[in-house]
Amino acid sequence: MAGLGRFGAGAFVAPALALIGLFLVFPALWTIYLGMTDYRLTGLQAVDPSFVGLDNYEQILGDPAFWRSLRLTLVFVLASGIVGQSLLGFAIAWALRRLTGWLKSVVETLVLAAWVIPASVASFLWIALLDRRGGTLNEILGTQGTAWLIEHPMAMIIIFNIWVGTAFSMLLFSSALASVPPSQLESARMAGASGWQQLRDVVIPNIRGHILTNTLLITLWTFNTFTPYLVTAGGPNGASEILAVYIYNTAIPGGQLGVGAAISLIMLLINLVIALGYLRVGRARAARPAEATAAETAGGAATS
Amino acid sequence: MTAVAAAPRTRRVRAASAPGRTRESRGTRLGLGLAAWAVGLLFVLPLVWMVLTSFHSETDAASPSPQVFAPLTLEGYRSFFGAESGANPWPTLINSLWAAGVSTLVVILLAVPAAYALSVKPVRKWSDVMFFFLSTKFLPAVAGLMPLYLIAGRLQILDNIWFLLIIYAAMNLPIAVWMLRSFLVDIPPALFEAASLDGAGLMTTLRSIILPIISPGVAATALICFIFAWNEMLFARVLTGVTAGTAPVFLTGFVTSQGQFLAQVCAAATIVSLPVLIAGFAAQDKLVQGLSMGAVK
Repeated sequence: MAGLGRFGAGAFVAPALALIGLFLVFPALWTIYLGMTDYRLTGLQAVDPSFVGLDNYEQILGDPAFWRSLRLTLVFVLASGIVGQSLLGFAIAWALRRLTGWLKSVVETLVLAAWVIPASVASFLWIALLDRRGGTLNEILGTQGTAWLIEHPMAMIIIFNIWVGTAFSMLLFSSALASVPPSQLESARMAGASGWQQLRDVVIPNIRGHILTNTLLITLWTFNTFTPYLVTAGGPNGASEILAVYIYNTAIPGGQLGVGAAISLIMLLINLVIALGYLRVGRARAARPAEATAAETAGGAATS
Repeated sequence: MTAVAAAPRTRRVRAASAPGRTRESRGTRLGLGLAAWAVGLLFVLPLVWMVLTSFHSETDAASPSPQVFAPLTLEGYRSFFGAESGANPWPTLINSLWAAGVSTLVVILLAVPAAYALSVKPVRKWSDVMFFFLSTKFLPAVAGLMPLYLIAGRLQILDNIWFLLIIYAAMNLPIAVWMLRSFLVDIPPALFEAASLDGAGLMTTLRSIILPIISPGVAATALICFIFAWNEMLFARVLTGVTAGTAPVFLTGFVTSQGQFLAQVCAAATIVSLPVLIAGFAAQDKLVQGLSMGAVK
C-alpha cells in the first residue's frame, strides 16, 4: 500500500475537519447558548444580552404559533415529501423502467430541470403561474381572480415542493429498479405473478435499502427546507409557516435571535430523532440475510 | 395492468424467447411510456414558458393568454444586461460565479485527501470520522444562521463574498467526502499493491493511479457542489447586501421591482438558471450516488 502512516492520514483529514468544525459545528454549539439568552437584533438586548435560562423554551412551548408551525411542518413533510415526491418519483421510475436510451433520459432530464434550478427562479415561476390576475393557471381553468396563494397556501407550497423535489426520488428509484435481478422477476413471471404481485413480492423486497435511504433523505430535506418562504413567506397570517420559515421570521424580521436559536435547537433535536429512528430500522434490516446487499452490489454494477 | 392479466399465455411464450423485455403487452408499455412523457412535460412546462417568454416582446409577454407563436426577440435580454431597470446584473453574476466556483475548488482540494485517507487506507476509527461528517448534514442550515450572522457582524465581514464562500465550502465538504469515498472504495486493492511493488511513492500513486480513475467522480462531485453553492439562498439573503449579493438574491429583488416587465424578468431568470442547468445535466447520472452519499451504490 502507498505509504500513508497514521500521521499522514491525520494530516489528510484534518483540514476538512477543521473547516467543518469551525463553520458548522461551532455555530451549532453557539446556537445552544444563544437559545438561553434574550439576544435581540436591535435595541438594548443587542448590546448587552442576558442569560435567561430556559425562559425561551417556556415561551415557545406555550405559544400556539409554534404548535401550529409544527403541525404544518408535519403535514408538509408527509404530503409533499413522503407521499408526493417519493410516490410520484417511484411511479415515474416504474413507468420508465422499460424504456431505454434517450427516450428515458429525456424524461429524466425534464424532471431534473425543476430540481436543479435556483429556488428563487422556481418560486418566481410559481408565483407567475398562480397570479390572481393574468396568472396562467386561472387562464387555463377559467377561474379568473382566484388568489391561490392566499386561499390555499399550504396546498400550493406542497405542490410547489413536489414539483421541485420529485427528480431525486425518481433518479434514485430508477437506479434501484435496475438493480432488481432479472432472474427473480423472470421466475415470478413464470409462476404467473401479476404486475402488482411482482412489485410486492420481488421488487419491493429487493429495493428496501433504497426505499429507506430515500425516505430518510427526503424527510430531512423537506423538514429543513426554507424555500417555501419564497412563495408565501409563511403567510397569510402564518397559514403556511413551516418550522424553518417560522425560525427565520422570528429571528431576522422579528429580531428575536434568542428565541429563534431556541426553536432551532428544538428542530435540531427532531432531526436527530428522525435520523436515529431510520438508523434503527436500517440496522434491523442489516441484521437479516445478505440478500439485499448482494442485490445492491449487482445494481451498482448494472448502473455504472 | 388489466392488459397483463388478459394475455398471460402469449406473454409466457414471448418471455421465453426474449427474456426481460416482454413483461407487459405492447399496449401497456406504450401507455406507461406515454404517461411518463406526459408527466415529464408537465414538469418542464413552467420552464418552457419562462424561456419562451424571455424571447418575447413585453407586449406579447403581458398578454394573459399564452402567446406561443409570438415573434421572437432579444429585447428582454438586451434590457436586462443593459441595466435598463437601473440595476446592473453583472456584479451579482460575478459574485455567484466566484462564490460557487472558488468554494467548489476549496471543497475538492480538501475532500480528495480526506476521502483518500478514509477509504484506501482507513485510519483508526475511520467509521467514527465518516459518521461525524454525515452527522453534520443533520444540522438544519437555519440553526447555524444566527451565530454566523453575529460572527460576521462582530468581525465586520457582513456583505463580504469571502465569508459566504467559506461557509459554502464547509456546507458542501461532508457531501463531497462521502461521495468521493464511494468512488474510491471501488478501486481494487490489487492496483495499489502493484504500484507499491513497482516502488511508487504516495504522490506517484495518487497522481498516476488514483486521480485518473476517480476523475469522473471528482468532476461529478464538483458539479454538485457548484449547484448547491450557486442555488444557496438563506445565507446569501441574510449575510450579504449591496456589494456581495449573489445572483439568486438579485433575482428575487428584480422580480419584485420589475414584475410588470415579464419578458425582462424571464430573461433574468433564464440567465440565473443556465449555469446550474448545464451542471445538472452533466452530473445527472452520478447525482443519486452523490446525494445519497454513496448509501445506495
